Amino acid sequence: MPHSTKILDVDNINLSFGGTRALTDVSFSAKEGEILAIIGPNGAGKTSLLNCVNSFYKPDEGKITFNGKNITYTAPHKIARMGIARTFQNLALYGGLSTLDNLMAARHIHMKTGMLGSMIYWGFSHREDLQHRKVVEEIIDFLEIEHIRKSIVGALPHGLRKRVELGRALALEPALLLLDEPMTGMNQEEKEDMARFILDIHELENTTIMLIEHDMGLVMDIADRIVVLDFGSKIAEGTPEEVRNDPIVIQAYLGEEVH
Amino acid sequence: MYDTLPKNFLRLVKKYGDQKVAIRQKEFGVWQEYTWQESYENIRDFTLGLVKLGLEFGERVTIVGDNDREYLWADLAIMSARGVAVGIFTDSTPSEMEYIINHSDAVFSLAKDQEQCDKLLEIKNQLSNVKNVIYWDPRGMWAYDDDWLISYKDVQALGRELREEKPELFEQLVEGGKGEDLANFCYTSGTTGLPKGVMLSHANLIAARDSYINIDPRYDTDNVVSFAPLAWIAEHTLAVTPHAMDGLIVNFPESPETVQANIREIAPTLVFYPARLWEGLTAMIQINITDSTRINRALYNLFLPVGYKVADKIFEKEPVPFFLKIAYWLGNILVFQPLRDKLGLVNVRSAITAGAALSPDMFRFFRAIGINLIQVFSSTETTAAGTQHHPGDVKFASVGKPHDGVKIKITEQGEICIGGEIIFMGYFKNEEATEKSLRTDDNGVRWFHSGDAGYIDQDDHLIYLDRLNDMIKLSNGESFSPQFIEGRLKFSPYIRDVMAVGGEDREFVVTLVSIDFDNVGRWAEKRGITYTTYVDLSQKPEVYQLILEDIRGVNSTLPVGGGVRRFVLMHKEFDADEAEMTRTRKLRRRHLAEQYQDLIDAIYTGNDSYRVRADVQYRDGRTGIVETLIRIEETEMEKLKV
Repeated sequence: MPHSTKILDVDNINLSFGGTRALTDVSFSAKEGEILAIIGPNGAGKTSLLNCVNSFYKPDEGKITFNGKNITYTAPHKIARMGIARTFQNLALYGGLSTLDNLMAARHIHMKTGMLGSMIYWGFSHREDLQHRKVVEEIIDFLEIEHIRKSIVGALPHGLRKRVELGRALALEPALLLLDEPMTGMNQEEKEDMARFILDIHELENTTIMLIEHDMGLVMDIADRIVVLDFGSKIAEGTPEEVRNDPIVIQAYLGEEVH
Repeated sequence: MYDTLPKNFLRLVKKYGDQKVAIRQKEFGVWQEYTWQESYENIRDFTLGLVKLGLEFGERVTIVGDNDREYLWADLAIMSARGVAVGIFTDSTPSEMEYIINHSDAVFSLAKDQEQCDKLLEIKNQLSNVKNVIYWDPRGMWAYDDDWLISYKDVQALGRELREEKPELFEQLVEGGKGEDLANFCYTSGTTGLPKGVMLSHANLIAARDSYINIDPRYDTDNVVSFAPLAWIAEHTLAVTPHAMDGLIVNFPESPETVQANIREIAPTLVFYPARLWEGLTAMIQINITDSTRINRALYNLFLPVGYKVADKIFEKEPVPFFLKIAYWLGNILVFQPLRDKLGLVNVRSAITAGAALSPDMFRFFRAIGINLIQVFSSTETTAAGTQHHPGDVKFASVGKPHDGVKIKITEQGEICIGGEIIFMGYFKNEEATEKSLRTDDNGVRWFHSGDAGYIDQDDHLIYLDRLNDMIKLSNGESFSPQFIEGRLKFSPYIRDVMAVGGEDREFVVTLVSIDFDNVGRWAEKRGITYTTYVDLSQKPEVYQLILEDIRGVNSTLPVGGGVRRFVLMHKEFDADEAEMTRTRKLRRRHLAEQYQDLIDAIYTGNDSYRVRADVQYRDGRTGIVETLIRIEETEMEKLKV
């Protein structure tokens, strides 16, 4: 697979909360069409890094470039429009809405009708609604969540909610998909399903995917490249094979060096 | 009517063309419709594709996958190419698939998706006969680079190429088909040994369709929702064959998880559920009613007894009084119709139950709410036809009367034999098993020896008892089925567990019954019968009378010599903690027979009571001794004996 063009470039970012340094001089880039995993022990700064990429946090220093544009200080909702979508570690769905409505809500950034037009719901906005429904239905089909189309999301089991959240991110039709621990709290079968969806998204849409995940086995299986963080600094970067054999990484994960 | 399915299918294509829906499948949240013309084109191209790939007359093709339009098309295409379709259940393991594919010498295997293809790839080296695996759901298949795999669409494209060269070939192939050609192999999941391949011809399939339809017609406006495995012959007899012969519309659900919702949307005219599912539905209704508003609950409780009364009148073939009719009409509008709608059974003309026996209460309940529930008795070897409850002639205990054109006889050993056009052509590559169960009599009628025990009662209804091997002989020459007697008795809400005893050294059947303390207790309270403990309640004469009624009811469905003659109500429940039952509540017969040897002997000797001393282990681990006198009751079976 050709991963030549950089889609995302993170350049020397520093982030601190009060006196605590969350990220120190982190630099890396994501190439177009790759699956990049970010791993590291708890508190290493993985989620903070993701939050910087979609602009929830503003780094104290450094620069983040997406598709050649500096997005370091762009507002999060504009980032979404530019083609970066994400899912959250602890889920952030509209719990009182149905799966379908959650996905349709994500389509609003692609909608052209204004507020007045939508209220009249006539002709154009009706047609537009149908078009978006079609996209959403394809996602429902893809993620095999037909049976919960009309179910209220808050009442769904965790594994399915995770899938709905992924669906909502896909509804944005992103160029870069940020997944924050997409497999936490899942059983082995659900994890395998999720891994399959991630691989299929990647293959079918050529979406660049950046994910944080704790299940090392799965990360090693699906990632093209891995960035390892520890105490807010990048300690390694490379293919799964390189990272697995890196003594610094082994030390960070296992504590003391094992011969 | 023609003699093969594809010929009849073509007849319907000419009749309906693109003017009528043949198949629906829900996709992307919408019911997508396919006309007869579209179905025809798909089948034609796929047939020719198979021929182009090298499928020849009589060769087998296996199919595994969820029910889909592609499955149905492939099924009819294989038959059109004069091949034989072999269904495999979707949850089969690779080794089970390997057995069926190799045993049937299949030359092609259809597998729906990545999941099924993965299983086949795992055993690829063992499947030397299989030229190609054809998949119809391409999702996730992008990563596979194996010439062995080919997509459904690619096969159809090959078919179109062949059609350019030979435009008449498809029609010629179909025209060349004959009724005696084999159409389908169904592998039966034999409880013992390896699965057997039941060979069915077009004549079998068509005879099975006739046998149902002449009792209970199907129309081209009828809908079925096809979700039961197509590897199961019943799904062919009740959906595929009537589709190809009568134009029945087949609807495929969106996904296995959405079946219930999809059934409600389609409101099929015919449903076919196993007994377990009917039981599940009753439980679901009861839960929903409990959760419903007070008005709904009140209406339900008001009209359900009316429904029962009407159902009972119809069972007993008595006229329904006018005022009851009015009340039922009202109940139908207010309660039953909305309830049937919730279940998706608002248009259903025949609701079939098969498999395990359903309790009479279940029958009464569904009939009370206006669902025509009927029992069917059949097997794969009889192309899923056999007997059923005929309209207006329903008996709870029976499996009905023979289907049109089906013959039933009972051998001296009590084995049910089924004869007629529906009888299979033999087990593939298994002469021995074929000879054992398929015999032709002097009149040239082919009989299937089912291995099931049963008898025909005075109303010409067939009563199915048990597997022949599980029947127990009595010294009077009769046999009985402990399972049958126990199962039927346990339908009573007052009986918790029961063991039927008999044997070659015993002249008749006796039962040890343990009552259901809660239900019998409630019954007793209503009648002002006072009691203290389980032991006390179980020995009340009124309770004996209550259980006696239940036993007499079951006896009335049994041959006189095989009924229950004496019984006792046990002083305690059978208990898993005392090793009397397994944790899944199955009786430990041998242990029970030893434990209660003296009691059983006393029952046979004709004593009228017996003193029991039983060690009891209490829940807290302490042990104690219960001592009581238990009554032995006659059921007056002797008096019935002539």
